[in-house]
Amino acid sequence: MRELVQQPLTMWNLLLIVLAAIALLLVVLVFVTYAIYFERKVIGWMQLRPGPNRVGPLGLLQTVADVSKLLLKEDTRPKQADRILFALAPVLAYAPAFTVLAVMPFTESLQFADLDIGVLYYVGLSSITVLGVITAGWASNNKYALIGGLRSAAQMISYEVALVMSIVGIVILTGSMNLREIVEAQRDVWNIVPQFLAFLIFIIAAQAELNRSPFDLPEAESELVAGYHVEYSGFRFAMFMLAEYVYMFAMGTMVTVLFLGGWLPIHPALSFIPGIVWFVVKFSLYVFLQFWLRATMPRIRSDQLMSFAWKGLLPLAFLNILLTAGFVSIFA
Amino acid sequence: MLGFTKGLGFTLKKLPEKKVTHKYPDEPFPMPSRFRGIQHFSPEKCIVCNQCVRICPTDCIQLTGKPHPDPERKGKIIDTYDINFEICILCDLCTEVCPTEAIVMTNNFELAVYSRDELYKDLTWLDGNRTNIREEN
Repeated sequence: MRELVQQPLTMWNLLLIVLAAIALLLVVLVFVTYAIYFERKVIGWMQLRPGPNRVGPLGLLQTVADVSKLLLKEDTRPKQADRILFALAPVLAYAPAFTVLAVMPFTESLQFADLDIGVLYYVGLSSITVLGVITAGWASNNKYALIGGLRSAAQMISYEVALVMSIVGIVILTGSMNLREIVEAQRDVWNIVPQFLAFLIFIIAAQAELNRSPFDLPEAESELVAGYHVEYSGFRFAMFMLAEYVYMFAMGTMVTVLFLGGWLPIHPALSFIPGIVWFVVKFSLYVFLQFWLRATMPRIRSDQLMSFAWKGLLPLAFLNILLTAGFVSIFA
Repeated sequence: MLGFTKGLGFTLKKLPEKKVTHKYPDEPFPMPSRFRGIQHFSPEKCIVCNQCVRICPTDCIQLTGKPHPDPERKGKIIDTYDINFEICILCDLCTEVCPTEAIVMTNNFELAVYSRDELYKDLTWLDGNRTNIREEN
């Protein structure tokens, strides 16, 4: 897979690359479909109800039905909306979410591009989504959408700082920004042990980045009119939803790779189990944590949100960098 | 921080517990004994006294009688009996006023139909609606 990108671009290679991308897209779409299904199931169970169980066996086709409904819906656009930007915003939100998956090492060999600055690539591209959110808020020509868009942008930018700063500790420890090398460096001990503080900061900041509970203020379905995508309907709205869940996929991959040892088994004696299984298990644990948190936590207040990012998480992240740097310079 | 983990533990403990919801459309929902559902009408008991029509607050009952086929007996027997469930409020007054308990409440409540015309229930339909009849009327 990795060699494909380095070979000269012939028609055959191009075809292979396109097919591989489509295969990944299908995997992601299946993940999104069943992540939504399991989210509703798990939250249902925790609230002592059965969750979706009407469409298909055990309700397995519920999300398929929901998405078909969205795709068949009329695509409305406010009269005074900025036509081009209104259409561009969902693309701008979704495209980076899918693009960041290119550098993710799912197993030793299953990776689309082996970048030496994989971490930077992820962090850089994922912040473009904020632009999509702001564009959506602006182009809708609706004051609530604009306010919602700005609020989401403020939240996502603030927490992105803490998120990136928590990764720096790992980069210092590993001495590399290559995601594959970061996993290889965890053969003895996973990063979650020496970088536990960074792990906590990363998990919290990731929740805010993903706009998920308890940081789901941008959507806040029970108190706001859905924030920045209030004017969107049909497949454009589906695009925003898709971007959100693809980011969950990307963030789950990132947590697994950075802190939980990627495809590495929990003990070398268990290495007969293929790496992809280990990866999927750790990844699923993170995804379950998302649903678990959503069923547990109330929403944080808007003023608590900002001060928590700048006065709480960020200093802690700096402290973590300082500690890690001190540790590395003394013992290494 | 402690409360946070306590909350997570609580939700996790609730996950495998028994569900509290009802399987209503799959299994019928048991209604309490005083529930006011769709009326059952038994034509052989009716004496055509017109009390139910007079008491009905929404005027949803229409009935006609005819003379008794046996010329030696006085009184009338019921000919047509219609309830319009578009406006019936299931107030229980018709069953309360009925001297012979010809009209009684049942525990059935499913009235959803695709056309308004179907909500005009006639004598044969109301006679056939004899499941889950309320014990005390």
